[in-house]
Amino acid sequence: MDFLNTFLIGITAGAIYALMAISMVLVWRSTRVVNFAQAGMALLSTYFGFEAVSKLGSFWIALPVAMVGGALFAALVEMILIRLLVKHSSTGPIAGVAPIIATLGLLGVIRATAAMIWGGQDVRIVGPVSNDGYSINGTTLVFSPLKLLILVTVLVLMLILSLVFQKTNIGLALRASAYAPEIAKLSGIKVDWVRTLGWALAGAAGAVAGMFQTVNGNGTLSPDSIEFSLLLVSGFIAAVIGGLDSLIGAVIGGLVLGLMISFVLMYVSSGLFFIAPFVILLTVLFVRPQGIFGAKAARRA
Amino acid sequence: MKAMNRRKLLSVSAVLAVASLAATAVPAQAAEVGVTSSSIKLGMTLPMTGTASLGYNKIPGAAKAYFDYLNANGGIYGRKVTLVVKDDRYVPTEAVAKTNELILKDKVMALLAPLGTANVKAVAASVNPARRGVPVLFVNTGFSGFADAKKYPTTYAVLPSYIMEAKIMGQYIKDNFAGKKVGLLYQDDDFGSDALAGFKTAGVNFAVKVPYASGSQGAAAAAGWITKFKAAEADVVILFGVSSATSAMLGVAAQLKYAPQWMLGSVGGDATTIKLTGVPAGVLYNAIGFSPVPATTDMKDEYVKLFSDIYTKAVPGSTFDLNVLLGMNSAFMAAQALKAAGPNPTRKSLMAVIDSKGSTFANSALVPLGYSKTSHVGLTGYWVGKYSPTGDLSPLGGTYVTYTTDSGAGAVVKSTYVRPAMPAKGLPN
Amino acid sequence: MHKKQTRDILLFILGGVVLYFLSGMVDELRVYQGASIAVYVIAISSIILLTGYSGQVSLGHGALMAVGAYAAAVARIELHVPIILCFAIAVLAAAIGGALLGAAAARLSGPYLAGTTLALAIGLPSLANQFSLLGGEQGLLFDVGFPPLSLGADFTQYKWFFWIAALAALISMWVIKNILSSRYGRTWRAIRGNEVAAQLSGINIARSKILAFTISAGIAGLAGALLSMTIGTVSPSAFPLALSFSLLTGAVLSGITTLGGAMIGAVVLVAIPEVADAVANRIGSSERVTTNLPGLLVSALLILTVLFVPNGPVEQHRARKARKLTLKK
Repeated sequence: MDFLNTFLIGITAGAIYALMAISMVLVWRSTRVVNFAQAGMALLSTYFGFEAVSKLGSFWIALPVAMVGGALFAALVEMILIRLLVKHSSTGPIAGVAPIIATLGLLGVIRATAAMIWGGQDVRIVGPVSNDGYSINGTTLVFSPLKLLILVTVLVLMLILSLVFQKTNIGLALRASAYAPEIAKLSGIKVDWVRTLGWALAGAAGAVAGMFQTVNGNGTLSPDSIEFSLLLVSGFIAAVIGGLDSLIGAVIGGLVLGLMISFVLMYVSSGLFFIAPFVILLTVLFVRPQGIFGAKAARRA
Repeated sequence: MKAMNRRKLLSVSAVLAVASLAATAVPAQAAEVGVTSSSIKLGMTLPMTGTASLGYNKIPGAAKAYFDYLNANGGIYGRKVTLVVKDDRYVPTEAVAKTNELILKDKVMALLAPLGTANVKAVAASVNPARRGVPVLFVNTGFSGFADAKKYPTTYAVLPSYIMEAKIMGQYIKDNFAGKKVGLLYQDDDFGSDALAGFKTAGVNFAVKVPYASGSQGAAAAAGWITKFKAAEADVVILFGVSSATSAMLGVAAQLKYAPQWMLGSVGGDATTIKLTGVPAGVLYNAIGFSPVPATTDMKDEYVKLFSDIYTKAVPGSTFDLNVLLGMNSAFMAAQALKAAGPNPTRKSLMAVIDSKGSTFANSALVPLGYSKTSHVGLTGYWVGKYSPTGDLSPLGGTYVTYTTDSGAGAVVKSTYVRPAMPAKGLPN
Repeated sequence: MHKKQTRDILLFILGGVVLYFLSGMVDELRVYQGASIAVYVIAISSIILLTGYSGQVSLGHGALMAVGAYAAAVARIELHVPIILCFAIAVLAAAIGGALLGAAAARLSGPYLAGTTLALAIGLPSLANQFSLLGGEQGLLFDVGFPPLSLGADFTQYKWFFWIAALAALISMWVIKNILSSRYGRTWRAIRGNEVAAQLSGINIARSKILAFTISAGIAGLAGALLSMTIGTVSPSAFPLALSFSLLTGAVLSGITTLGGAMIGAVVLVAIPEVADAVANRIGSSERVTTNLPGLLVSALLILTVLFVPNGPVEQHRARKARKLTLKK
């Protein structure tokens, strides 16, 4: 029973990390940028969602509102910030750190702005379905309709994205735009728009992660919340474990991270929350320096 | 010759005596740093942003609300008390830098309620308020070490120490839950190790102890804690952590229908804060709680009534909770110390008066203060209560029963302390 | 070459003399901030060496600083080692840590390295709570002692900190400068420029990268020990993820490839919070605004810097001059 519960805790936490990792991967695939503001953008989208919930009263309307809001904001960031960044600092040693600094700066701007607008208020979102655990034989499982919904949503989102990437040329265009923008342009790909699209998709995915992380927690939202700072770190580490370049990798990375942390806390020591990810990441990268699903070539780029 | 000399000596000493009398009688002359004829400046560092700021960032607003009220009612001998607040983001390096600014640039007279053990320690080591003679009033941490007047001669504790709380909790468990399996959730640092020390002194044996890393207390972690407590079949579970840990734990417990006998430490036990984070009030019902100050919803209490009136007027839309009450209480105590230090307060006279009279300062707490020349220990105990069906902590049997103890091996005793009546209008007298 | 070295030594001595007189002229707060600036100069130059010259990114230098700081404090408390040796131990301990990390890092590139070092920055400081030797959350005292009496009775503790930190900064800058202009420095630049070409010309890339990480970590360790000197204690919360980030920021503000610019980044890191506070208090209306405005200003400045002065003010100025020259021709 403990084992099952530990597994269930890990898989739901991992599913949310996976969503966050998916959005990191989409950004990475389209622009070769590790977006440290992703959790901040998710936070902002969740505030959009909160405004929608409080005005329209339904989670199911608020979720698409948050997604659209998140997508638009992300697209805007790409068009203004990232394009300038690519123009000014895409060569030399600065190219390795400029995106990190710029997105960290963006994270700070979002956090401070959100705190000015919504800080100190009682901001709460109630989930669409119950988060009370299922019972079997009188014992309550660490698994609820809400957690089931989260798992299903992650699966569906991943399926849709993979389908889109396989059936259309978007996936290829994304990859081409990132790796060889000149050649991509020559072969008729609208590189700029493809990149913006990548960011917008990531913004929408991040919005879902933010909304679910909030309702799966205690429903409250704050610019300084612990849940969102965990999202930032875990999302990135999950994406790196998975290989940064692969959607399936992001999902596997998220689940592996969630499960491993859960089991370490249960069976080794519950004080190791922040040490466990480091050990897991190091172990994975020791065996496969390019992450579980990363392509060898990606590492070179 | 001899007579002459003696007369000369007499007249000289008379002149000197008059001069010294005159010097003390002239108001606001030879003023202390941070004290002008019209104002007294105090400074505060604490986390105002970042994950460690949750809840605590209401404290400056609370203290300012009280000082504004005080200033509107004549201030301290006509001087207005102002408070300069700096955000240290809960980083010792920042706390030291900001405290240096407060002392050297803003030139505050004293520091009020700086927060966090590591930060206050770093400030004591680097800024060295003791060597500079700067009072550090009512530090906001339960680390027992700051009561040591030899080691930190200008620093004054106010909260009862974590060790005291654990000892009193331990005594309560032995009296009421003998033979039950007890579980403990604690923070994996000094906050927790102080608690462990206190429980050890009290002789409590735990069936299961679950540490958590500070900053990890989200829903996922809480689900794991519960799994551990369930596996150990704990009957009583003590939550000796910060508010966010209590909230995460109780929130997830509600979802999992996990309901042992809860026992909440005072640091993370403020009902208002817990309920604000979305924990259903019903989960708190019948949990046991501890606090040195009256329940924040107890409007029959004269302090709570006055302070919440002042606060809700000054900061509309913000809820009056334990952090607010404690912040206003510290401001009120600082006001009394300043008043008691006389019309020309200096850093020295301020500290001298806390040493000599501090233990009699009026304040909202229901347990005695322990200040003396040799000890800077603040409040020395707790009352025990239960949470009502609406999730509010109220004293067992309707009356506050308090216990006091020390941070050492001393026994836990039922206190006979009767809180003095509040001075008129809550102003220092 | 010989002549240039003599000139460099003279320059550094001159710098020391200027600092000496400066420390006597400003008030205690500025002296303290001067000590912090010196610490940041060292930490930032360790990043410049690693990222600007060997092309590796680290988000975990705060953790390496913690290694140095804890090593120095433990040596001081448990072994009663003289203070100068404590700093040497800090360098050594962090360098060993850096070598281990570098060995892992040599196999990784770009974001994978960033991820690993990020996880380190988050995980390592919380390790201190697992060992009682390291003093838990409240940390260990790290007391370098009072200034010698021969310096005079009014010689403050902060002036003493400043002297130690400034001297350490001058020495480390001199050492780094020499390393960068040595064979190793050239090797790093070759790898940074074109890894494949460097490999073909017989450079052992992995070894070279590990060496860069080791040296950089040692310098960071020194900065960590000095940082704890200025705050008198070593505790996990003194080395948050934000510290690692602000070092990167400082390096970018300095110009990631200009060692001499480290001073600029360090001054900005120390001055910005104070300036932002002052601005916020002047224009802020409600408490909610004044509390969050400094964070907003600092973050906005960061973005603007990478967008418009990505290579740092020194490099920017040089580039503009060069452009003018070519235009004239």
